[in-house]
Amino acid sequence: MTSTDTQQIDTENMLLWHRVNQFYNQEARALDEEDYATWFTMLADDIHYWMPARESMFRKDETPDSTTNMNHYNESLQSLQLRVARLHSGAAWAEDPRTRYRHLITNLEVELSDVEGEVNVRSNTLVYRNRLEREEYWLLAKREDILRVTEGSFKVAKRKITPDFSSLLSKNLNVFL
Amino acid sequence: MGNIEELKAMVDLKNGQIDRRIFWEDWIYQLELEKLFAKSWLFVAHESQVKNTGDFITTYMGQDNVIVTRHKDGAIHVFTNSCTHRGNRICFADRGKARQFTCNYHGWAFGTNGDLLGMHEEEHYKGHIDKSKNGLQNARVETYKGLVFACFDDEAPSLEDFLGDYRWYLDIILDQTEEGTEFLGGCIKNMYNANWKFGAENFIGDSLHVGWTHASGAKAVSMGHEVPEYMPVDPSSFHANANGHGWEGGIDGVGTLELISSGNPRLVEYFEQQRQSMAKRLGDLRARKIYGSVISATVFPNFSFLPGINTMRTWLPKGPRQFELRAWTMVNKNMPDDIREIVQNACAMTFSPSGIFEMDDGENWENATLANEGVVTRKQHLHYGLRVGTSHRDDPELPGNISRPMYSDVNQLAFYQRWVDFLTAESWDDIPKVR
Ligand code: FES
Ligand SMILES: [Fe+2]
Repeated sequence: MTSTDTQQIDTENMLLWHRVNQFYNQEARALDEEDYATWFTMLADDIHYWMPARESMFRKDETPDSTTNMNHYNESLQSLQLRVARLHSGAAWAEDPRTRYRHLITNLEVELSDVEGEVNVRSNTLVYRNRLEREEYWLLAKREDILRVTEGSFKVAKRKITPDFSSLLSKNLNVFL
Repeated sequence: MGNIEELKAMVDLKNGQIDRRIFWEDWIYQLELEKLFAKSWLFVAHESQVKNTGDFITTYMGQDNVIVTRHKDGAIHVFTNSCTHRGNRICFADRGKARQFTCNYHGWAFGTNGDLLGMHEEEHYKGHIDKSKNGLQNARVETYKGLVFACFDDEAPSLEDFLGDYRWYLDIILDQTEEGTEFLGGCIKNMYNANWKFGAENFIGDSLHVGWTHASGAKAVSMGHEVPEYMPVDPSSFHANANGHGWEGGIDGVGTLELISSGNPRLVEYFEQQRQSMAKRLGDLRARKIYGSVISATVFPNFSFLPGINTMRTWLPKGPRQFELRAWTMVNKNMPDDIREIVQNACAMTFSPSGIFEMDDGENWENATLANEGVVTRKQHLHYGLRVGTSHRDDPELPGNISRPMYSDVNQLAFYQRWVDFLTAESWDDIPKVR
């Protein structure tokens, strides 16, 4: 491999990283602004959106996460839409006044997948929620995504969210990560 | 410490008025820990969580952390999770498998029955300790059809007596099949800045919040179509309570099934099929009319559930203004995998911290608690006066105290009646066996 080849690969990787980063920033903005119509265009029709509940276990007892255990989210596009329909029902009293959301996406690692047209991405997310007078909640999680490359952009085909809490230290989880 | 008379006056059962201080005052909370949580039977686990020898989970009885574990003799033991040497906690995992529990501090080791087995560098202790006198404090343990309850008070009546007539209702969820029930793996835990009683009383009888608090969830489920009448308008819907445990629900047999199966005929079909075998065990009334309706229920003091949606949960007090909710999904052991998955997802979609129904409850309970920081606000009593005094014990088909329809404060008042019974009692003789 010549040094120009390596350079070219580096440039392509940087470009891909940049495009994924851009995509995540746009997604974060859509979620911050409760712009779910835009968010849904960023998700694949066959998305699996999964957030298992975590527990404190001794290391020797740790088992791999399974969707057959208790989950915070184990969603299809349709069920995500159902969740959002609650907010848009005009009767979600507990969301009025609105919750102030901020999604920060960091530690992006992008890797071409063996599957044609897909990329594997890991990221960390920090979500801040502030509501009414004294309610302030921070959520941290790891995200493992499979993005499908579409013309000019991506769609999230799979997302596993691994939260860093075992007991959620707030009254609800009125947010997507 | 406030006195007993003061406490009795705070819960005016005749007029249906409750003093807000019971949701706020520290001294009342301390009394709850001493006279209620340390005396009453409390739900601690489902047997399926401690199936095999050495399986354990940790939970709380009041604010006492306990280990629930299956000992090698096959019995389930529940004991305090705090070392008898300097008091360090001995088990830090939510669940797992253990042969013994060894304290991190100086290495004292305890068996899965709470006995002190030995310690690191034991030779120093020769002649200085009677190990048999330094085990962990065991609670009494009894089970009812898969549910494990524990009690720290030797004087308490049996679990069966404690549940009393309420067992007839519990059977509707616990005794549908020969094989019985189990909890799905894992647990969902979340924290509320609210008084624990708001969770318990909401589930015991608050039919009236459903149509309003949960209007958004109901609208979402109907996806733009007209919102179906989930809540029974039927005048024969009811509040039932026995010994402070309560059940509110309809007898149309459909409300909950419609909610969780929306758009899924497979589930409806499955339940119709199930009802036949269920009816053989439980009779038509319970299998076909009660089960499947909108129902919510609380076992006094802090264990609640929604039959059909299958969330089982306990409101663990963390002080007068905070509690942790721990929730599991319960299924019949013989449920096919695809039905299990539908039930599991429907439970998470509706009643979990991210659920489109549950999400709206916390806001109410937190603010109903927090408002009492105002000293003037706190002095105004609350209205619990809907259909006060309408319950009667001689219903031809339903056991316990019954009031119809389900839109009332009857069960809530029965809960607070029991609460006063416990908090003001000097011994079990003062607590009526049957309420
Ligand atoms: S505190 Fe447990 S061994 Fe000392
Ligand atoms: Fe509710």
